[in-house]
Amino acid sequence: MIVLHEVCKQFMQGDEEAHALKKVSLEIKKGECVVLKGASGSGKSTLLSLIAGLMQPSSGKISVDGKEISKLPEYFSAQLRRQKIGFIFQKFHLIPHLSALENVIAPLIPENLPVSALEEKAQAVMEQCGIAHKAKMRVNRLSGGEQQRVAIARALVNNPSIILSDEPTANLDETLSMALIAEFETLKQQGVTQLIATHDPLFFELPFVDRIIEIKNGEIIL
Amino acid sequence: MSFKPNFLLLDYAIRSLMRRFGKSFFIFFILSLLIFILSSVLMIADAIKLELNTTLKTLPQITLQRFIAGKQSDVPLERVEALLDIEGISAVTPRVWGYYYFKPAGVNFSIVGIDAYEEQYSETLSKLTQRFDMKLLEKENGMIIGEGVKKILDENYYSEFFNFITSEGKWQRVNIAGVFHSDLALESNDLILLPKKLAYAIFGMDERKATDIIVKVANVKEIPTIVQKINERYPDMRAITQDDIRVSYQNIFDYKSGFFLALFIICAFAFFIIIYDKSSGLSSEEKKEIGILKAIGWSSDDILKEKFYESFTLSLSAFLLGVTGSLFYVYALQAPLLRNLFMGYSALKPSFDLPFSLDVSMLILLFLLSVPIYIAATLIPAWRASTLDADEVMR
Amino acid sequence: MSLTPEIIALLTLDAIFLFFGMIAFVLASRLAFYWNNDASTSLQYSLTKQSYLISTIIKYIFMLKLPLFAFFIYTCDKLSNIIAGAMCASGVVNSVDFGLYLTLFKLLNLYLFGFWLLLHYADVSSEKLPFTRLKFILFAVFAVPLFAEIGLEIAFFAGLNISKIVSCCGTLFSAASSSYISLLFVVDELLWVGLFYGFFAMIVLAFWLKNSVLTIFANAMFLIFAIIALIVFFSPYVYELPTHRCPFCLLQKDYYYVGYLLYILLFSGTFYGMGGAVLSIFSKEKIRFSRLSLVLNTLYLLMISAYPMVYFIRNGVWL
Repeated sequence: MIVLHEVCKQFMQGDEEAHALKKVSLEIKKGECVVLKGASGSGKSTLLSLIAGLMQPSSGKISVDGKEISKLPEYFSAQLRRQKIGFIFQKFHLIPHLSALENVIAPLIPENLPVSALEEKAQAVMEQCGIAHKAKMRVNRLSGGEQQRVAIARALVNNPSIILSDEPTANLDETLSMALIAEFETLKQQGVTQLIATHDPLFFELPFVDRIIEIKNGEIIL
Repeated sequence: MSFKPNFLLLDYAIRSLMRRFGKSFFIFFILSLLIFILSSVLMIADAIKLELNTTLKTLPQITLQRFIAGKQSDVPLERVEALLDIEGISAVTPRVWGYYYFKPAGVNFSIVGIDAYEEQYSETLSKLTQRFDMKLLEKENGMIIGEGVKKILDENYYSEFFNFITSEGKWQRVNIAGVFHSDLALESNDLILLPKKLAYAIFGMDERKATDIIVKVANVKEIPTIVQKINERYPDMRAITQDDIRVSYQNIFDYKSGFFLALFIICAFAFFIIIYDKSSGLSSEEKKEIGILKAIGWSSDDILKEKFYESFTLSLSAFLLGVTGSLFYVYALQAPLLRNLFMGYSALKPSFDLPFSLDVSMLILLFLLSVPIYIAATLIPAWRASTLDADEVMR
Repeated sequence: MSLTPEIIALLTLDAIFLFFGMIAFVLASRLAFYWNNDASTSLQYSLTKQSYLISTIIKYIFMLKLPLFAFFIYTCDKLSNIIAGAMCASGVVNSVDFGLYLTLFKLLNLYLFGFWLLLHYADVSSEKLPFTRLKFILFAVFAVPLFAEIGLEIAFFAGLNISKIVSCCGTLFSAASSSYISLLFVVDELLWVGLFYGFFAMIVLAFWLKNSVLTIFANAMFLIFAIIALIVFFSPYVYELPTHRCPFCLLQKDYYYVGYLLYILLFSGTFYGMGGAVLSIFSKEKIRFSRLSLVLNTLYLLMISAYPMVYFIRNGVWL
């Protein structure tokens, strides 16, 4: 499903080149739930961004669902993101002045589908996440847990085959973290491929996690 | 290539505009104001042109003036007979008229001499001579005056008669026999009609001459040919046709509108720069929003489209508001203040109603001068916004 | 120079086109030089961003140029009221030496920019971005006629002299004309009509054979001879006057603005015909838009042929 082959990514920091990823190779099969373990700054977020097509690798090849995305023009990588990938961010990254429903619909707006179909889809997924009752409320008025659920609903609204999560429990208390983990378990049962980047120890002992990959200083440690 | 509009995107764009209400409204307001002024000026110019064209039809087909040493001079009356010989001319009327400067009020009256037995060259004059008894006027040394004249004379305590000062310095007393109201306000408000003999006396003119000659032709299309024949016969006479007047007025209006427009464009250009500046500055919130949108699956193209929807909606609404506002201002309120741009101030110029005429081409013109220009101003800022890096923002 | 509001609008938009055109030209030239799709350098990254700007600018210019062409003709039509002797747009256009060239240039630019946009959409729809470098080289080339047109237009309006008497379309489009247009009338008009229908037959043949080169040639010839045949043969039937042979008067209210419909059909038909074929040569795929172009061209043919037919049926004679 997701294949990385000797992927390197460098950034310019001032005058110096910083190597975020050094010759990373990895393969995640369809339906697998993989935890990416590493401290902050180890390159986890960069790896996720590369898989999502948000940036292109400096060298190496990445393919998602059989399609090579390393040199894909932005129009197509955005399309891929919209249609196949759901992203849960550490800080949720919801658009504050929009309502919950509008945030959930947002990824699908460029698809130019009929309005009613989209709203139906959004309502369904919000019910699944238990946030449908706050659909019309502005997200900056919701509690942390409610925002988290909106973020999950948004990631799920397009029926993605891949879910990428970047430190999903970093801003949550234990109860909410457990609720989120339950959600991940459901997704695993539905056959969704998952890659969760985290250094939260709660994830390291979970039964439904297939593999734990450790990353340090931009390199995969086996 | 499908051009189906994306309504959700449009909704998002409108919502975006509302979110930044202060900034959006400022731009919307100024844009509407500019379009309002532009549209009003163009409409007033067009309305006055229309009114003038109507007036034009009452003017003589050909007016003949005699020029000696480059200056206008009186025309010998013998020429009238000679002119009637020319093929195509149906009527020739010598006119005696001029301006009389009334010093106490500082205004000029137009004086036209009327002959009771002559065929009048204009409809207005015909109507007037039918209503008032010209023969009586001659007998009693009377005159008929326009409303504007009456008002001025009343202000100067002349209510029953008026004393003209002739060119020889003598007094010529003329009774006010009647006052006329005319439908054609532009033309006759400052007019005084009196018997030709009196006119000759007041102006001190030679009674064998006339101020100018009016020519009526049988076939309007032959005017240029007939003018040519007249010129061959009398090289010292200059002909002014209806068309000449129409063209010169149109030119004046176009010149005035063009001049105004040039000034307007300078203002618009300044505004252009302001818009560019304001659109360029993206707050950190806005940048973050774009980053998030890109992360969840919007491409640069989509963001650009959204910005375009924003600009288009804003400018189109400003256009509609500006045009509607000016329609109301010009035709319902009769455009106070702005109409003086074209008409000038004059004590004797009366007010008249601007006739309603709405040209689709004018709407297109106004549209072209507003919406594309606004979109041009926001084009580069919109592009800059759309090419923001998603991950930089999210770090 | 007479500055009517219409002229000011056209010149202002021209200034905007010039400004953006320059930006696009500079960027496109740079891009044509340095574009390397396989590189992941920051240079390539910023070039990609700039390519969006260029295509946005071109879309903007093209979207405006389409209605502006009609507006230009309309402005000339309106000016005919002030310019002595002119009774429709042709008089005004021809009052300046290069007026006709300006009009043809404008039309050419519409076609060129339209082609560019077709190429652009073919480019971005493919993941490999196959035509990007070609696109930018082409734009750098097409920018020249764009600037030429703007320059000519400014010179045109500056050179308009309202006191100079011009000929009206009656004399311009006749055998007595002093310009090369009179050459059109030396030949028997049926020759032009024959060529017109002949090249339409060639278009059908090219469609059937699915041959790109033939399609381009046939459409181009069809365009040229359609206009000639329109001037020489068909327009008198629209005006129902044998000596009235003006291609511009068709656009006036008196004839129900039928000119707009006719020209839209003809121009879009030949545009899609040629554009689709040119695309297929570059992309080595099958010809696109061929059916659309055939339909549009056929509609034009039917409409324009209807006029003499109807006239003959009604009156029993030809003009």
